[in-house]
Parts: sequence; structure tokens; C-alpha cells
Amino acid sequence: MPVWEGLLKTRDLIRWCGLWLMPTAMFAQAPPAFQRVCGDCHAIETVTSQRRTRAQWQESINSMIERGAKATDTEFAAILDYLAAQYGSSTPAGSGLAQEGGGRGRGAAFSPGPADKQIIDEAAANRGRKVYAAECITCHGTHARGGDNGADLVRSEIVLHDRYGSTIGPFLRKGHPTQTTPAARLTDAQITDLSHTLHQEVYNTLRAALEVQDLLTGNAAAGKAYFNGEGKCAACHSPTGDLAHIASRLEPVAIQQQFLFPGTARGGRGRGAAPMRTPVTVTVTPAGGTSITGTLVHLDDFNVALRDSSGEYRSFERTPALKVAKHDPAEAHHDLLDRYTDRNIHDMVAYLETLK
Amino acid sequence: MKTLALFLAGGALLAQTGLNPAKLGAPPVDTWPTYNGDYSGRRYSTLAKINRSNITSLSLAWIHRVNGSPGGTGPGGRISATPLEIGGILYFTMPDHVWAVDARTGREVWHYQWTSHGGDHIGNRGVAAYGNWLYVETPDCNLVSLNMKDGAERWHRPICDLDQYYFGSMAPLVVRNHIITGVSGDDLDRPGYLESHDPETGALQWRWYTVPQKKGDPGADSWPSEEAMRHGGGMTWLTPTYDAELNQVYVPTGNPQPVIAGKARPGANLFTASIVALNPDTGKMQWYFQCSPHDTHDWDATQTPVLFEGDVNGQKRKLVAQASRNGYFFVLDRATGRNIVSEPYVKINWSKGVDAKGSPIPNPAKEPQADGALDTPNQGGGTNWPPPTFDPDTGLFYVSASRAFSVYYIYDPSEKPEGWGGNDRGGWGESMIQAIDYKTGKVKWTHKWEDGGRSGLLSTAGKLLFAGDGSGNFVALDPENGKPLWHANLGNAVTNGAITYELDGTQYIVVAAGDTLFGFAMWRE
Repeated sequence: MPVWEGLLKTRDLIRWCGLWLMPTAMFAQAPPAFQRVCGDCHAIETVTSQRRTRAQWQESINSMIERGAKATDTEFAAILDYLAAQYGSSTPAGSGLAQEGGGRGRGAAFSPGPADKQIIDEAAANRGRKVYAAECITCHGTHARGGDNGADLVRSEIVLHDRYGSTIGPFLRKGHPTQTTPAARLTDAQITDLSHTLHQEVYNTLRAALEVQDLLTGNAAAGKAYFNGEGKCAACHSPTGDLAHIASRLEPVAIQQQFLFPGTARGGRGRGAAPMRTPVTVTVTPAGGTSITGTLVHLDDFNVALRDSSGEYRSFERTPALKVAKHDPAEAHHDLLDRYTDRNIHDMVAYLETLK
Repeated sequence: MKTLALFLAGGALLAQTGLNPAKLGAPPVDTWPTYNGDYSGRRYSTLAKINRSNITSLSLAWIHRVNGSPGGTGPGGRISATPLEIGGILYFTMPDHVWAVDARTGREVWHYQWTSHGGDHIGNRGVAAYGNWLYVETPDCNLVSLNMKDGAERWHRPICDLDQYYFGSMAPLVVRNHIITGVSGDDLDRPGYLESHDPETGALQWRWYTVPQKKGDPGADSWPSEEAMRHGGGMTWLTPTYDAELNQVYVPTGNPQPVIAGKARPGANLFTASIVALNPDTGKMQWYFQCSPHDTHDWDATQTPVLFEGDVNGQKRKLVAQASRNGYFFVLDRATGRNIVSEPYVKINWSKGVDAKGSPIPNPAKEPQADGALDTPNQGGGTNWPPPTFDPDTGLFYVSASRAFSVYYIYDPSEKPEGWGGNDRGGWGESMIQAIDYKTGKVKWTHKWEDGGRSGLLSTAGKLLFAGDGSGNFVALDPENGKPLWHANLGNAVTNGAITYELDGTQYIVVAAGDTLFGFAMWRE
């Protein structure tokens, strides 16, 4: 999806990870973020038992982001590289997802629903839509979600148990009370097509299938006033400087996410890569020693690690005598989270959207 | 009575090598026989050989890595199960897998693998034990009974329908001759339920739906239609707790469906996102308390309902407490379900206060919106499934907490959204341990983690609180003030709640991080 198109063109990200220097076959180790980002929610086997093309892995990652996976753009890029290299496939999994096989029969078993779930044939689903419009739509509704005169087919157990017409076919052949056309007149091919259409409607209710609607509900003038006034955005940002043409680069949803959560949000829809986050820095001062400032690599209760200005990795045990000062350039953004109203946010999106 | 007598007779015969049922009601010492160690859900151990004054000598005794060598053919994944320890053997799971390992050495005794037909493999919380038998749920909707001795399968029985996108992940709960199972799954709009099965045959004893199934059922007036209630969600993801004296199981229920877009289900949507007391013999509801009326944020209430005796205005009361995913800490009288405390344990922005029953009043403006609503907590919640702990010595309830923001969007603006119909995006947040005074709901101390962290917790009479940070450190904290006393980096964040037991005079602490189980004991010659 769009974000990844942007990211993957950005060789810098990949170079930053140091991965491009190595042949892909050498990727024995997962990137540091892999376990944290993917393993936080589900078994890694969900991921690593599958073989997918790079494009398919992109889709998987996008779907996981929809489900709440949190990481920086750089980390997602590193994870994608790792998956494509270690768990890649030169041929799309496609209908193979429907079968047992790959990873000792575990392959497709690791996504929600049955392993033998119906794989949608788009062309068949489109043909089935015509059958649906002629035979079903009056009672069961545009998206098969039912109405006063017809059951909700997305929630129908006959549909959920169906594979390629296996239960829908016998049901329709038997005929049901309000059927306007005798079922026997549907051919096997039409029933299979209809089955694809109905399963597609079921899949369209799954979270990964959904998209953001219209965000441009705010008032641009009010947003500009907030930018220059209460939000104090103008202290660091300028509509003619760093934010010039921001709306040409980012979709409204990306704009909204970027100013709310800089560094964790994703970029625009084919409008180029998301801006990189300014790194968090840290200054470490040993007792009686000289301060060392660098890019924060790691900080916990017990240790701190940084990369200094010459690129050297430095690590310290945290003791009462060691002073550690973290500088997060996005701190002002974090502080605002407690102060924005949703109106402020929508006004800001409307204003930033004017910066084409 | 007949059933009870039969069970006790059976138990006595089986207790020699298997599980002595009496251990289920007692604080764990030489055993950890159920998901929470005992029925209370406190995850507090009376063991004190490892304690605040000698903790710095705690060292690694063994590790058990289930994935084997790199490139090996192990199952992959993380251990989010709480192991059981019975008779010197640890029993733990990953989805489709059960292991028995020596609790003294970490050596494998046996490994059982289920051949899967699908289902969400997000995690498995562990096995339950009854006599010489183990019970485990599979992602493809089966309850499997294994012989504790060698892992041989005795039988398997379906507990849900995979085609409806249900799956199994809960560690079953054993109450006398009831094997209580829950169902997971929030992709499609299906009703949640809890079942009880016969321990010998797996036969269904009763099923209790978390949502009403027809007009006139209890809670039906909190739904607009039978169509909505029958597809109203409320999954039973988490192992309930049990009070033998009151003979009540305390069931935490999941969020309503459709998850985010709640337009077609106006009302409180009972009994989703609630704590419900059931009679384990009949499956009949005794009382309920709703933690998140009309939830639209995926804030299930499937966090452990923790049971303890407490002091309320000078009176000793039987209490149940929960740090709920929506950011509220609740204390109820567990005999009646009456609310005593409702207090946020992290700063939240979605509630207009609480109603006369103590349930939060959601602010409609903070429900998901087409153009986005900035909410805290985020979808991950103020906390999530990782088990909290209650330490009777400090009187504090400890929970791995997050203060996180995200934007909730409606993606499907139609009159009848289904499934999810929206989601949250983005986010920034902080993670911490919160120590909550159950009498007031006020946070007594906070220990903030620098790099995230969301582990299960364990407290002990050794004046120790065990937790994991986001950097892979397994940490012992002082339960009085949250000061770290000891730590070891496990190379992966802690993925379950630690347990403890004593064998041959040695106290062990066992915790999982990623694909590895770690056993700790005091430094030994």
C-alpha cells in the first residue's frame, strides 16, 4: 500500500539499517524491532511459517499497522526487508493460502478463520454481483447485510460454512420462501460466483479491509490561528519552511497523524515518503567526567547506550553518579496530547491541507 | 453432593501422581496448579526464601528454549502461557503445542503437537489440570485432554465454530468436576459464551452466553434488537477466578461487536465488557457489573478479577478488584456485585464520570468519529491481558499500565456497520507499574519504564514484586515503593506472568520471554 511504496524507494532507510551491504541470504538475525513489534501481539510463527512475496509482506505489514502495530517507519522498513529476505517467495502465495502446505502444513493456518477459507476470485465475485443484483438485493440489501424482508447474509452461518457454493447451492436449490426466481434456474457457475460475492462482503467487514473517510471537517482559519497561537507550533515550524507543500506530500490522515504523533505515523499515498523523525538524543555525564552527547540507542533503568558524533557506540551502566539527560525533540508534541480538543485537531488538518 | 463425593474419591485416587484438588484452593507453595496459582487471581506467593534482603544473589538455574537451534523446526512464537507446576513438572503451551519439562532442570519430559485446521494463533494462556489429566484449547476450536504422564491425547471435543472465526486461547478453569472453557475472536459479529465440560468425557454440561439471545432475556433491553444482541460479541478470552465459599466464578467479558462502529447497537450492550458472577454448577448468572457500557474502543474487560478480603470502612468484606482495560480500577463486593470503588488508575479522557452503579459514563464525543477522535487510553488499553497481582502484605494492587493516545476513526459510516467498521491509528504513550490502594483506588506509587513494558506480575511474601520492562529486563521491585532491587536481561521482553514454587527446599522463579522459559533460584554451590 501507499506508505510502503514511498518507503521502499527510500534507499536511505535501508542503508541506515546497514542491511543493503549484506547479501540477503545472510539475514540470520531478525531486526531488533521484529520481536517487539510483531511478537507483542502474536506468535512469531504466525509470520515465519508463511512464504510471501515482498508485495505480499507489504500488505501483511499494512494490515498489522491497521491492527495497531507500533513502530517507526525505519523499523517497519527493516522488518519488511527481513521478512522478504528470510521468508520470501518468488511466486505469490495466492490460492495456495487455501491449502495445507508450506511450513509442514501450518502455512495459512495462522490467520483468523479456518485454514481452508474461501479465496476470492475477483472476476467471479464481479460476475456474482450481477446475479446478486438480479436475485437477492431487494431483500438482502446492497451489501448483503439484510433488511426488513431478508436475513443478514454476512452473518449467515450458511454463508460462513460455505466454500465455493457447497452450502449456498443446496440451500438455494431447495428454495427459500421469498425467492423471486426459482433457484433451480441458477447454474452451478452462477452459484459459485454468488458464493465469491458473498464471501467478499464478509471479508469487507474485517478490519484490514477498511479505509479512513473524510477528515477535512475543520476550519482552516481557526487552524491557522491555533498554529500561530495556542498550539505554539510556529515556535518550531513554518508554513513556508519545513511545512512548505506538506499537503502535496501527505494525505490528510498522514498530516493528522504526523503532528499528533511525530515519528510513529505513516506517510502519504503515493505522495512521497514520510519525513523522518528527528532522533532522540541523550547526554551522559559520568561523575567528574566530560559529558557525551549522542543519538539515543537504548535506555532502561539499568543501562544507557548512544552513538556519539563520530558514530561510535557507547554504553554505560546507570549509577546514581551518572547523569543521564534525554532530549526528545517531539516532547512538545507529546505535551499537546493532553491539551488538544478534537476541534483543534480538525482545524489544524484543514489548515495544513492548504499548504499545497 | 453425589458429584462432589465422587470427585473427592477420584481425587484421592489420582492425587498421588496428578493434581491434588485441595491444592486449587490453597496458596501455592510446592505447586502452581492453576492459571493464577490459586483460585483468587492474586498471584501472590507465601514463599519467602527469595526475599528483599537476599535478592541480589538470585541467579539463573536453567533455561528451556522451545524453538531449538536457529534454522530448527520448532514451532516459533512466544510463550504467553502461565506454566502449571505439579509434582515437579512444568506444563505450558504455545498455540497447538503443550510441553512438560522438569521443574528442577528445565529438561523436556514430553511435547505434544496438535495438527491445526486454522484459527488465530495470537497466543495460548496455558493448560488446566484435573487429576492426571490436562486440558488445553486449540486455535481451531477444540478442547483437548492429555495424559499428564506422557502427553498422550485422551480425546478432543469442539468448543466453537472456526467458520465463525471463533478460536481458543484461554487456559481452562477447573472447578470441581467442571472444565470451564472460553472462546476468543472478534473479527465477525458472533456472541461470546462460556462452557462447562465433563472432565472425563468432555461432554457439555452448560453454556452461558455473555449476551442475551432473545427479547425478554436478562439484559435484552440494553440492545436495540435481537439481531444486534445475537451478534453482540463479548468473548471470554480470560480465565475466570472462583470463590469456593460463595460458589461463584467471576467471569470477565469482552467488548461488544461490531467493535468500533457502534451505531447499530445503541444501549449499554449487556453483558459485554463486564464482570459477571456465575454459579459453576448451573451456569446461571448471580450478578453483573459493567466496566465499559456501550464500548466502542475495543476495551474488553478481560482482565483478571482479583479476589481478596479487604477492609471497607472498618468492615471486613469479600472483594473483587479489576484494573480494567478502559483505564478504571474497580472494587466490588463479590457477594453482591455492588460497587465500592471506581477510579481511573491512568489519566483518561473518554468518561464523563460514573453512574449510580459505579459504571463509567462514556462521552459520546470521544467515540470513534469519521474525522477522528483523540482518545486515551488507546486500543491497547490502560492495561491488557497480562495478569496483575495483589499483595496482601502491602494492601496494594499492582498492574502493568500504559498511558497511551491514539486516534479512533469510523471507517464505515453506513447504518449497519459490521465487524469492526473503524479502528484506531497512531499513538504515543508511556508504560509503568501502578501500585493502587484498593481502599481508595488512588495510585500510591508509579514506576515508569523508559522503553515500554507490559508483562504479567507476581508478588511474594519475600517482599518482592516481579515484572518485566520493555527492554527484556526481568526485574524485582520493592513492593513498598517500586524501587528496582534486582534485574536480569533475558534478551526479549517478558511475555507471561512469572510463577514461583519450592521443590526440595529450593524456591524457583520461572518466567517466559519470547520462546524461552527461564528458571531462577538462589546462587547454589
